[in-house]
Amino acid sequence: MKGLVLKDLMCLRKQLMIFGYVVVGVLVLSVMFVLSARFGNIAMANQAMVATEGLSASDITNLSTNVLILFMLLPLATVGDFANVFTEDGKAGFFNVSSVLPISVKKRVLAKYVTIFAMFGIGAFIDIIIAFVLSMLTDIISFADFLGIIISATSVMAIYSALVIVFCFLFGYGKEDYARIISPFLMLVTVISLNLSNIRKSITAMDSGDIELINRCMNFIKHKYYVLLLIAVFVMVVSYFVSVRIAERKRGIV
Amino acid sequence: MEDIKNVVELKGVTKDYGDFKLDQVSFTVPEGSVCGFIGQNGAGKTTTIKLMLDVIKADQGEIRLFGENIEKDSAHLREDIGVVFDEMGFHEFMTGRDINIMMKNIYKNWDEEMFFDYLKRFSLPSRKQCGDFSRGMRMKLQIAVALSHHAKLLIMDEPTSGLDPIVRNEMLQIFREFVIEEDHTILLSSHITGDLEKLADEVVFINAGKIVLAGNKDDILEKHGLLKCKKSELEKISEPLIVNVQPGTFGVEVLVNDRKACEKLYSQMVIEPATLEDIMLFYVNKDSKNAGSRTVETD
Repeated sequence: MKGLVLKDLMCLRKQLMIFGYVVVGVLVLSVMFVLSARFGNIAMANQAMVATEGLSASDITNLSTNVLILFMLLPLATVGDFANVFTEDGKAGFFNVSSVLPISVKKRVLAKYVTIFAMFGIGAFIDIIIAFVLSMLTDIISFADFLGIIISATSVMAIYSALVIVFCFLFGYGKEDYARIISPFLMLVTVISLNLSNIRKSITAMDSGDIELINRCMNFIKHKYYVLLLIAVFVMVVSYFVSVRIAERKRGIV
Repeated sequence: MEDIKNVVELKGVTKDYGDFKLDQVSFTVPEGSVCGFIGQNGAGKTTTIKLMLDVIKADQGEIRLFGENIEKDSAHLREDIGVVFDEMGFHEFMTGRDINIMMKNIYKNWDEEMFFDYLKRFSLPSRKQCGDFSRGMRMKLQIAVALSHHAKLLIMDEPTSGLDPIVRNEMLQIFREFVIEEDHTILLSSHITGDLEKLADEVVFINAGKIVLAGNKDDILEKHGLLKCKKSELEKISEPLIVNVQPGTFGVEVLVNDRKACEKLYSQMVIEPATLEDIMLFYVNKDSKNAGSRTVETD
């Protein structure tokens, strides 16, 4: 199984290279941002906004936090597209090789999930290092809040990947784009349908300039990360068993 | 007498796809032999191989490899099987080194040194992406992989098709070396019967999903003969001896299933040894016409 994980990581080699560039870019930009927000032009602009636009200090902090969250999401987003593995396998006809390896279908499926963990592990680890560096340089956001954001973001990406894998197994090679489209759509529909009344209320409030919904979302991401983490674990487990079932029905040939 | 151990055993294996049916396929491959699995394209060779490797599930029948039923746990049996397909299956960006990294973490018996030795012997650069390899190089790479985990059974599906005679010959030499070890067995599917004639001990001939002939190659070749006669002489030949009749250069050619009997009975007629290709062609044509009829093909 380890060999298949290594093969999957080889398939994602380009993605890992892009990830490296993104990490360097994010690190440079985020450090520049926090330094500027503390000592430079952004700090001056913030002061001007407080003076002239009527924004409060907490609004400015929230705005800066959102920018940093965006920075933190970028590295994870680059490691999140797992469908490329299926695309590469399909192009090569790798099922010819994998179907005759001394590895059961269950383990072949499990290898895909281990690869996801490896990718997200790398992404989250690097993000934590960036967060640590940033938290030393700024008091806009604490390291604990950064951790909450990283766990939440990783959980959301894990849910997305878990769905992508199921759909890739279900649709077969060459149809990864359907999986890429259906998975986030399904996630969006689920979130909206579970929070329909709250969303309605908040949208009405937004018309009167209230950005409560956004702040609540941010607080949820920062402080209730464990909810997303639990959902991610649950979805992953269900996704694994469903994928095994589909793959066994197809005798491992996706 | 020592018992002959069968490495591959198929008993009444059936797989129905609706438009194609593999029907009651039964044959065995003894340990230490080279078995040529012949038949025209679409005859059911690849389907049979996939059933043997548990890549597809049979509707009926029993398949045993190394004496074990594949239904129980086919994955561990594959440790001892090397497989070569007609298409490579490795990602084009992979190099020999990448494949080595992958395989040494998959096969318990992976022999890194042996793999690189094979790459060297086959003149395959270990740092070059296999997407840049020619067809012959790709086949050699697959063979190197199949041989580098100390497999006892090599299953190859059309490994020599589309290759030039020099590369084909080189491959046949590798296969010969592989079966020097007594417990090494090869099942080689091909429609290039010339290769099998050089290499095979056993032959299994499949046509339209049914096994037509199975057994020792020399016995099959010895039994069959190509009788050449005039069209008018055809009536003299006993019907049970005739497999099929086809037009020849100066009359008709008859594939007979008992050469020795024919030589005694029709000593005035020319009876030549039949090649595997002749046997395959006559049987295939027989099946495509009404079985057993004495019709002579005409242009």
